[in-house]
Amino acid sequence: MISVSGLTKVFGSGDAAVHALRGVDLEISEGDFVAVMGPSGSGKSTFLSILGCLERPSAGEYYLDGRDVNSLEDDELADLRNRKLGFVFQSFNLLPRHNVLRNVEMPLIYAGVPGDERRKRAQELLEQVGLGHRLTHKPAELSGGEQQRVAIARALANNPLVIFADEPTGNLDSKSSLEIMELFQKMHRAGRTIVMVTHEPDIAAYARRVIYFRDGKIVREEAKDELR
Amino acid sequence: MNFADLIQIVWENLRAHRMRAVLTTIGIAIGIAGVIAVVAVGQGGQAVIISEIEKMGSSLYFDISPDYMRGETADSNTFSIEDPTIIKELSPAVDKMAAITLGPMVDVRLPNSDKNTIMASLYGTHPDLIHVLNLSIEKGRFITDLDVTSHSRVVVIDAGLAEDLFPKEDPLGKKIFVQDTPLTVVGVLEKAPSSMLDAFSVRMVYTPITQAQDMLNTRVINQLCGTAVSEEALPQAISDSIKILESRHSSVSKSYMGTTLEEQLEMVGKVTSILTTVIGAVAGIALLVGGVGVMNIMLVAVTERTREIGLLKALGARRRDIMQQFLGEAVALCLLGGLIGMIVGIGGAFAIALAAHWPPLISVWTVLLAIGFSVIIGLFFGLYPASRAASLSPAEALRHL
Repeated sequence: MISVSGLTKVFGSGDAAVHALRGVDLEISEGDFVAVMGPSGSGKSTFLSILGCLERPSAGEYYLDGRDVNSLEDDELADLRNRKLGFVFQSFNLLPRHNVLRNVEMPLIYAGVPGDERRKRAQELLEQVGLGHRLTHKPAELSGGEQQRVAIARALANNPLVIFADEPTGNLDSKSSLEIMELFQKMHRAGRTIVMVTHEPDIAAYARRVIYFRDGKIVREEAKDELR
Repeated sequence: MNFADLIQIVWENLRAHRMRAVLTTIGIAIGIAGVIAVVAVGQGGQAVIISEIEKMGSSLYFDISPDYMRGETADSNTFSIEDPTIIKELSPAVDKMAAITLGPMVDVRLPNSDKNTIMASLYGTHPDLIHVLNLSIEKGRFITDLDVTSHSRVVVIDAGLAEDLFPKEDPLGKKIFVQDTPLTVVGVLEKAPSSMLDAFSVRMVYTPITQAQDMLNTRVINQLCGTAVSEEALPQAISDSIKILESRHSSVSKSYMGTTLEEQLEMVGKVTSILTTVIGAVAGIALLVGGVGVMNIMLVAVTERTREIGLLKALGARRRDIMQQFLGEAVALCLLGGLIGMIVGIGGAFAIALAAHWPPLISVWTVLLAIGFSVIIGLFFGLYPASRAASLSPAEALRHL
């Protein structure tokens, strides 16, 4: 499903150039749950951005679901992110001015889903993450764990192929972290492909594969048998 | 994104920053209100001045004065009292004609009362003036030829002055003092339907020209005014009058100029439209400042919400979606400001018109132009920030704090 080879990313140019990725090769198959670990500055977040089509690589090949991502126009990438990819961020990144329901509706609006169907779908998703009673609250009125659950509902809005998560529990206490990871596990069991960046080993332990980054390269990989 | 969704999202965003939205809207509203009010009042004023002048006479009206374009002024040799009669006799093109000795500011009062002195303009003139200026008598009579030859101490007053001096009595036959000379009121003019001169409280008294010259102790005649027999004869009437005057006053080698009502109207039109343009330009600058305010707000909004833009792009917003949203916000602010400004501007124009006794002339075009302009400001000043916002890569925007 995901196939990258020789992926490099350089920020800036000349003497000030920073090599964030120095040639990464990786295959991720459908339904996999991959954790990406490494010290800060190792390039793991840049790698996730490129996989999530939020940024273009400086060089290298990237095939997602059989399509050559490098050849796509900006609008085609936007469509791809909208319909095939879902994102969960460390700082939740909810829209502060809109209520919870509207936040989950946003990807559906961009996908052109008509109003009634959209609200129904958003409501279902929020019920699935246990927030069916908070539809009209603003994000600031929710706890961190609740906000991240809204973000997960939003990531699932268009039933994407892959969920990308960048330190999804980084801003949460251990109890909320546990709840969030249970949701990830539920998604994984339902067959969703997940790529998650983290620096906490016990969070990475939920994944089936763990990839270690250092200085812009994959230095080690551990695969586990199906958990529990 | 469809239109209804766009409107809802724009509304939710603006509502979240109520204060900022309100202040920006006020900026635009002031500009729009200023433009509409100024143009409406200006056009109304212009229309009033023009109708005032039109009332002064018909399209047959003309006057002859010293050529002030060359710096000439009237002195006691410029015109003589007999000039109008002689010009009428010699030129078939001239129908009526009267000379005017003007006392621009004279004191008018009742006998035995030093208080309540009223300032008025004194017209010392011939009987023809009533026809030349299209005046009509309400009571009594106008000046006669006999009054002129016999220096009669009689006066014709306008309706406003009659009201001021004799609120409850019939003014006919009463004595009034003009520049401390007792005169008998022999006629009252009909109230002019307009207003502008009332508003400025300019009262008029008319006396035989001979009597006026005695009172003012002068032999100066300021101008001749007359009417031509027809509109086609107007240029003939003016050139005949000037020729006759030049030959009659050849010893002092004066030069004269003739002006028609048309020319006066043109001049007034020019002056007032220049005024309207200048004031309109000032209001336009206010509008521009309001527009820069919108752009500033949009720039702040974009910078502050860069992360949000990154997120929207991550969720699948295309460049067009981001542009639409930010442009939508800018246009909404300007349109709202434009509507408020339109209401305030029209209201203001009506209020000023009411106070100044002239009709507010609010042209649909001014209003459409102002509203259209406000939308264009919104589009124009929203475009740059919106385009900047939309061209960021999502990862770049998300890294922004």
